[in-house]
Amino acid sequence: MSAVPLEGFTTALLSAALIAAVPLLLAALGETFAEQAGLLNLGLEGMMLTGAFAGFFVALNTNSAYAGLAAGLGAGVLWGLLFGFLAISLRVDQVILGLAITILGAGLTGFLFRSLYGARFPTLDVSLPKVAIPLLAEVPIVGPALFRQQVVVYLTWALVVVSSFVLSRTRFGLELRAVGEHPFAADAAGVKVFRIRYLAIAIGGAMAGLAGAFLSVADLNFFVPGMTVGQGFIAIAITMLGKWKPGRVFVGALLFGSLRSLATGLQVVGVAVQPEFILMLPYLGLIVALVLLAGRTALPGALAIPYERGRR
Amino acid sequence: MNRRSFVSAITPVISSGLVIAAAFLVGAILLSLLGKNPLQAYHVLISRGLGSSFGVSETLIKMAPLLIVSAGLLIALKASVWNIGVDGQFLVGACLAGVVAPKLAGAIPLVPMLFISALAGVLGGMLWGVIPALLKVRYGLNEIITTIMMNYVAVYLTSWLVKGPFKDPQVVPPQTAVVPEAFRLPPIPFTPVHIGLLVGLIAVLVVYLLFRNTTFGFKLWVLGQNPRTAIHAGMRVSRLTVLALLLSAGFAGLAGANDVLGVKGMFQGEWNPGYGLTGFALVFLARLDSLWVVPFAYFFSFLLLGGEIMARSANIPVYFVDVLEGLMLVFFAVGVYLERTLAERDRRRVPATQGG
Repeated sequence: MSAVPLEGFTTALLSAALIAAVPLLLAALGETFAEQAGLLNLGLEGMMLTGAFAGFFVALNTNSAYAGLAAGLGAGVLWGLLFGFLAISLRVDQVILGLAITILGAGLTGFLFRSLYGARFPTLDVSLPKVAIPLLAEVPIVGPALFRQQVVVYLTWALVVVSSFVLSRTRFGLELRAVGEHPFAADAAGVKVFRIRYLAIAIGGAMAGLAGAFLSVADLNFFVPGMTVGQGFIAIAITMLGKWKPGRVFVGALLFGSLRSLATGLQVVGVAVQPEFILMLPYLGLIVALVLLAGRTALPGALAIPYERGRR
Repeated sequence: MNRRSFVSAITPVISSGLVIAAAFLVGAILLSLLGKNPLQAYHVLISRGLGSSFGVSETLIKMAPLLIVSAGLLIALKASVWNIGVDGQFLVGACLAGVVAPKLAGAIPLVPMLFISALAGVLGGMLWGVIPALLKVRYGLNEIITTIMMNYVAVYLTSWLVKGPFKDPQVVPPQTAVVPEAFRLPPIPFTPVHIGLLVGLIAVLVVYLLFRNTTFGFKLWVLGQNPRTAIHAGMRVSRLTVLALLLSAGFAGLAGANDVLGVKGMFQGEWNPGYGLTGFALVFLARLDSLWVVPFAYFFSFLLLGGEIMARSANIPVYFVDVLEGLMLVFFAVGVYLERTLAERDRRRVPATQGG
């Protein structure tokens, strides 16, 4: 061990893990809404990158982190509505569409970034206020990590509770799950299938865009083409691991957020592990976790199947 | 050929042509919005890419890996096995070929040396493909997610391998030993294009014949059309699925060996040409039709090369090609919808006109 005191190190690692979990959690919660309504959004990665770029661009020009986050969210909604139009109204293949959006999102943001800034990498000079929760923040080790975070982090945690409540306790949530399971029965019962699906994918896009913007605006303060390195796909897998339950999705996001931050953490204390092996961990760990936990899960009955009135 | 069947035969060609035109149009709008001159950009793309012998031969060289990758994607996608892991399979294949080839070069004659190195590539690809294949049939894990995860693992694993155990100790950068020029893929006589292009064309032809003439190909096709039918017909669906992914991955690995033996001469850390998604777009634009894959491979190779040319000569970031690819896939999806709608309208008219 190096000179970094163990206590401070643990706090730093825990804090980094919680921050690394935020984009995964946001994206996976959004995907939960979309998939529960029967839409498989494989374009998450492209939507996150777009959110990251839009957030970065707006924050750089307005010097406001909140404007950046809002821009990321807005960009995500636009993607969600486009996905919705093509997948819901035109009934195109969702796997092809998702991968198309992944290519397009990565290409478009890389293209815009290089066109606007050339080889430069401008950094953002914005920050979001940190809030320390009285008393709790004073608890050794876990206190500062858990209870001295950016406001957005707390809001994300609140979103877990809100999502869980909306999905399982409200009429909208019930209708959403009905639409994903049996769209014909739902339609016959008077549920507006198309409207619900559009709302679900708009929520999914918004959360993906916000997740990307959190990465560039709140966490790293810069943008690099391809900066999400597969986090969109990890979020999709977390959704499956979490079996579409926000609480379980939260646990999954924390787990893979920790794995992601481990790379930096171990380097700080000077443990001699090849960085490639640590960088590999989240992806390998995900496959292992899927084998152990997911297996033959019951997917939403109508996942990735377009709905067409009057045709079964 | 009556009018109706002629129209249905030509529709996909027109449709894909329109898809490409639409993508270029949106691309042009994007360029103008950023204050760049789209006409000049496209002029550079076409005059250098198509109008010069350098452009044409470079396009043909780049076409080889795309053809080989597409041959594999055809097998998987026709069987509805979503192999998104081509990039990882390519890298592991390329890495193994990069380790084997310099050791054999000079030790054994050229032909067996190339053959064994190519085989190493195929095995590397298959090694990477068999994992998601088994996870799918054994644990029911969706191959889309697992193959994508395997891509990232492959990037880091191969980067580490050429930094550590497989590194050429003679040089500083992380890479395998270099294959001497005399032991690379020889050129096709009277051309500057290496024989990888022929390998690619043969690969596509083999896949064409596989689906046209063999029961195995037919079984894969049935599996792709409707897995339930395949089960009811007594086909061993798990075995077919594993084989489809394995063959697909083997071709991806072969493409990796092609680039090592024909172009680069070694495997470098953090090198990832990313043919996977390009191949995906290409094969869908060719409507999963094996023979149409050949002209589309030429077109996409032309685009990849053109992207580099535009970056150098017209100051347009290489990402522009990804934008075009993504747009083409989106418009392709819209095109399929329009065709379906038109076909349905046509069918509804049939009773009135007593069949066209």
